[in-house]
Amino acid sequence: MRTPMFFDEKEEFLEALRRMVREGVPKERIRTITPFAVPEVDKVLPRPRSRVRFFALIGAATGTATGFAFTILTSLEWGIIVGGKPVVSLPPFIIIAFALTILFGSLSTFLGFLLLARLPSIRSIRARQEYGNRFVILVEEGP
Amino acid sequence: MAAAEKYARADEGILKAMGKPGRAYIAGLGLTASLVVIGGLLWAYQIKSGLGVAGYTHPISWAIYITNFVFWVGIAHSGTLISAVLFLFQARYRTSFNRPAEAMTVFALMVAGLFPLIHLGRVWVFYYLIPYPTQREIWVNFRSPLIWDVFAVGTYFTVSAVFFYVGMIPDLAIARRRCEGIRKKIYSALSLGWNGTQREWKHYNMLYLFLASFATPLVASVHSVVSWDFAMSLLPGWHTTIFAPYFVAGAIFSGTAMVITLVVPMRKALNLYDYITDDHFESIAKILLLTSLIVSYAYIIEFGLAWYGGNVFETELFRYRALGHYKVLFWIMIACNSVIPLTLFAKKLRRNITFLLIVSLFVNVGMWLERFVIIVSSLARDYEPYAWNALVYRPTFVEAGITLGAFGMFFMLYLVFLKTLPVLSISEIKEHL
Repeated sequence: MRTPMFFDEKEEFLEALRRMVREGVPKERIRTITPFAVPEVDKVLPRPRSRVRFFALIGAATGTATGFAFTILTSLEWGIIVGGKPVVSLPPFIIIAFALTILFGSLSTFLGFLLLARLPSIRSIRARQEYGNRFVILVEEGP
Repeated sequence: MAAAEKYARADEGILKAMGKPGRAYIAGLGLTASLVVIGGLLWAYQIKSGLGVAGYTHPISWAIYITNFVFWVGIAHSGTLISAVLFLFQARYRTSFNRPAEAMTVFALMVAGLFPLIHLGRVWVFYYLIPYPTQREIWVNFRSPLIWDVFAVGTYFTVSAVFFYVGMIPDLAIARRRCEGIRKKIYSALSLGWNGTQREWKHYNMLYLFLASFATPLVASVHSVVSWDFAMSLLPGWHTTIFAPYFVAGAIFSGTAMVITLVVPMRKALNLYDYITDDHFESIAKILLLTSLIVSYAYIIEFGLAWYGGNVFETELFRYRALGHYKVLFWIMIACNSVIPLTLFAKKLRRNITFLLIVSLFVNVGMWLERFVIIVSSLARDYEPYAWNALVYRPTFVEAGITLGAFGMFFMLYLVFLKTLPVLSISEIKEHL
């Protein structure tokens, strides 16, 4: 890996990044570290959209299915009529399914993030090097 | 000022709150912890003696504890509104309030979650609420609003805690940098080794957007479910169809007031004037005013429905609410929730932070009383006229002490938060510098 380049200003960092791309450095070999989210980086170095969204969809759908399956199947297990309501009473079961949709969706999205962002990273937790508030460009060596 | 200097100042200014505590802080922590101990001892006394030491009298079997439960779940709501809904609407002033508001949500839910247990006569069988089959293979009744509560509040707490933590990950990495020894190790572990790479930010932004999207419907759904604890019954004053939106507006109203109550002293004590400005408070004051108007409209509608419906029990209940045993509390509630917030129409008063703090304290009182009035007056005037004037419910010292203990627990947790975690969202603030 080449020596990292450090910048104090966001604009200087972005300009250096654009220049590097113009000079033909392969985009997939450029890594950046920023103290806060800089959306312009994604424009200079386009990457595929985050797949975290699939985790959200799968988690939420699993939550809905679980909510309905859980309430319906357990009610049918011993079909007691309570308060004159049908054994399978969908309106109240929707509330449970809704809650589990949100719960499973949120937890699955969080787990998806950890997986895709490769966190927690033991190496980074132990690392002594800190970049502070600087904007950093790292170029990985080619094959 | 150079950007690097501004960023360093933001780090320094916000994280200095985590420094050595002063005398005032220790005194506050001691006071709130004492209230928690008193509340805990009184709860132990209640468990030993039975619910008779609470002021329940037939037919009033829900009172202060359920009032506290509804109040604290309501307080939680504003945190989600500020952190999730305002994020989706891209309201810039959100960054000044979102962290304290998210902390408030989590702590308020921790306090709220205790009250159904305190309200149980035999707390050791609390697990009956958890859905599992008994030895006769009968499951819980999913048609009961009390079970909906378990799912709604459980989900709300989990999602809010995840949202609170996720929002802090980049800031914990900053805290890690500025600490030494064991604290550095703890913040390093909590920050999960966050570096701020493009990959991390890309997935993080998507995660945050989805968590905000998942949390947004919870603002409406959780207090709707809490309102159905009442509205699913047939008691006068409880079963109007406006209960869900009425409760949601009330929850946001009370939560916004609590955010102001917490953030005004926090800004002064930690000298955060650069990051929480009067403009930001003015925006929050507008939310307070709007929700006050919605709540007042709901009060009018409740009386209107009772009059228009023509049901004698409903009409009598609403007459009783305004003119009966609890009339003083009712009119204090109206003054605090419907009259005093109207002063916020004046821009000068909205921007007067001391005045705003005083209004927020009145709203806190008013919203607690609102829940008390809804719960107790309806039960006191139900379908048993023989009981109407036989006994008047009055809270006992056990109920009062446990309530104070709950307030102590909430403020104690908040004080601990101020010294242990970044009080504002540093990385978001830096984005806008």
